Amino acid sequence: MPVLQIDHLTKKIGRKTIVDGVSLNLNKGEIFGLLGPNGAGKTTTIRMIVGLMSKTAGKIIINGVDPQNDYEKAMSNIGVIVENPDLYKYLSGYDNLIHFSRMSKGVSEQRIKDVIALVGLEHSIHEKAGTYSLGMRQRLGLAVALVHRPSLLLLDEPTNGLDPAGIRELRAHLIHLARHEEVGIMISSHLMSEMELMCDRVAVLQQGKLIGIRDLTVAKQVSDVQVQFEVDRPDLAVQILQTLTVGQEIGRDEDRVILRIAKSQIPEFTQKLIEAGIQVYGVHTLKPTLEDTFLEMTEGEQQK
Amino acid sequence: MIHLIRNENMKIYKRTRTWILIGIVMLFVILQIFNLKSSGSAIVEGDWRIQLEQDIAFLKLDASKPDALPIEIKQAEKLILLNQYHLDTDLPPSTNTWSFAVDQAGNLIVAISLISVIIAGEIVSAEFISGTIKLLLTRSASRTKIYFSKYIASILFGLALLLIGAIISVIFGGVVLGFQGLGGSFLFVKNGSVEQTTIIQALFQSYLLHIPFLLLTVTLAFMISAAFKSSTFSIVISLLVTVAGFVIATAMNSWGWTKYFVFSHTNLTQYFLDDPSVPGITLGFSVVFILLHLIVMHLISYPAFVKRDVV
Repeated sequence: MPVLQIDHLTKKIGRKTIVDGVSLNLNKGEIFGLLGPNGAGKTTTIRMIVGLMSKTAGKIIINGVDPQNDYEKAMSNIGVIVENPDLYKYLSGYDNLIHFSRMSKGVSEQRIKDVIALVGLEHSIHEKAGTYSLGMRQRLGLAVALVHRPSLLLLDEPTNGLDPAGIRELRAHLIHLARHEEVGIMISSHLMSEMELMCDRVAVLQQGKLIGIRDLTVAKQVSDVQVQFEVDRPDLAVQILQTLTVGQEIGRDEDRVILRIAKSQIPEFTQKLIEAGIQVYGVHTLKPTLEDTFLEMTEGEQQK
Repeated sequence: MIHLIRNENMKIYKRTRTWILIGIVMLFVILQIFNLKSSGSAIVEGDWRIQLEQDIAFLKLDASKPDALPIEIKQAEKLILLNQYHLDTDLPPSTNTWSFAVDQAGNLIVAISLISVIIAGEIVSAEFISGTIKLLLTRSASRTKIYFSKYIASILFGLALLLIGAIISVIFGGVVLGFQGLGGSFLFVKNGSVEQTTIIQALFQSYLLHIPFLLLTVTLAFMISAAFKSSTFSIVISLLVTVAGFVIATAMNSWGWTKYFVFSHTNLTQYFLDDPSVPGITLGFSVVFILLHLIVMHLISYPAFVKRDVV
C-alpha cells in the first residue's frame, strides 16, 4: 500500500485555481520530488496534505487513512518540515523536542535521545533554540519531524537558506531514512540539481497542474551517454571524431567537443585522439540533467 | 488534552517575561499595603469612638454635596452604617491581614486581568508570528484540541496569578498588620443593615466570586488573538476594555442601561457581600449574561481558528 495517495487534489482560492486535479502515489522508502517554478502549487499541495490548508476537492489518503475520517490517526503518520524550521526560540532544543513529542502517542525518552544522536545535537540540545545557527535549527527541525517515527515525511523547500554543507547533510539523512527505515519522503524544491541527487521520482508541476512524473532511477541507466572531450586542438578532434561516428552530431564549445556515444566506445575514441597527437586534458560523461528534462517537459506544455 | 495543556504551560512559564509579569502583581499587592498603612486607616490611635464619630460626620458632609455621584452617596451610606454598628455594639474596628485580603480581591482582580490579557492576547497569535503554528498544526492533535488547550492554559494562568495575589496579600498583610483575627467575623452592609459572616467564608467568597471578571477579559483577549492573529491589537483592546469595563461598571452603577452592561455582572460578590449594583438583577441573570458573552466570543474565534488556511 502506498504511504500517500492523492487523487484529483484541487485548491481554489476565489476564482484562482492554485492546484488543479493533482493525482499521485508515494511508496514506502521512496524519495519523491515536487518540482516546478515559483507559484506552480508545490507548497499549496504539501500544505493540503499536512492539514495546514483545506482542499477544495479531491482525496488524500495517508497510510490508508483519510484525514477527513480520522485526522489524528492520519497525522500521527507524518513528519513535516515546512520551509525554515521555526521553533520556540525561548525554549531549549530539548524542550522543543519534548513539546512536540507530547503531541504524539508513545514517544519514549529513549527515542528522544536516539533522535538527538541521529541529528548530532547532543552537545547543544540544552541550549536555547534561539541561539542555534540555521544549520542547527534545521537539524532540530528534522529531529522534531522524526521523533514520532513517521512513515511519511514531507519537506517544503527544506534547503532554502542552507549552506552546501547543510544541504549535503540533510540529503544524507533523507537517503538514509528512505533506504534503511523505509520512510516515504516527499520534497518540494526549485533546486533541480538537488532533487536529481536524491529523488527516485520527480513530478513536475506547472500552473497547478501535474504535467509529468519522471522516474530518475530509469534515466540513470540509459545506454548512450553524452561525452565531453577537453582537448588542445578542437578542430582536429572534431574531424577525427566525425570519421569515427558517421553522421553523429558533434557539438563544440571552445576547446571542448561534445558528442553522444555508447559508454563502451569512450576508451577507443580517447585512444584515437591521442594517436592523432591531440592533447586530451579531460573526458567527462554528461548525463541528461533533470534541468534538461524539466525544460523539455515545461516547453512541451507551453506549446500545446 | 492534558499533554497539550502542559505544553502551553511550559511555553508560558519558561519565559522570563512571564515571571516579570508575576513580579508586577506581587509589587501591586505590596503597594496596596503601603497605601493602606500611609493613609492611616489601619491603626486607630486614641479613642476609636471619637475617630468613628468624626468619620461619620465627614461622610455625611461628603454625601450631601450637590455634585456627589450616586455611587459616592451609596458608599458613604454603607460606611456610616458600618461605623454606627461599631459604635452601637461597642466593638472596636480592626484591620488585620484577613480583612485586608478580603478588601483587596476587587482591586487585585483588575490588576491580574490586566496582566493575564497580555498572556492570553498572544497565546495564539505568537504562534503565527513566530511561524511555529506550522509545526503545531501538523501534529496528531486536532485544531479543536489545540484551541481549547490554549484557552484553558490562559485561564489557568489568570487563576494562578489570583492564587499568588491572595497568598501574597495574606503574607505581606500579616507581616504589617498581624495575622490575628482569623476566627473573627467580616461585617458588610446588605439591604440597609449590617450583616456578618466568618472571615474565612468572606475570603473565599471575595476571591472566587470575582473570577467572572477575569474570565471575561481573558476570553476577550484570547478571542482577538485567535481570530485576528494580532498580539498588539489583542493586548491593546483587551487592556482598554478591562480598564474601561471596571471604571464604567464602578462609576455608572445604578444607571438603568448598565443592567445590560456585562461588567455590571462580573462581580458576583454583589449578591453575597453587598447589594446588587443595579436594582433588580439576580444571580441567575448575571451568570447567564456572562456565559452568553463567553459563548458569543468563542463563536467568533473558534471557527476562524479551526478553518483558517495557514500560509
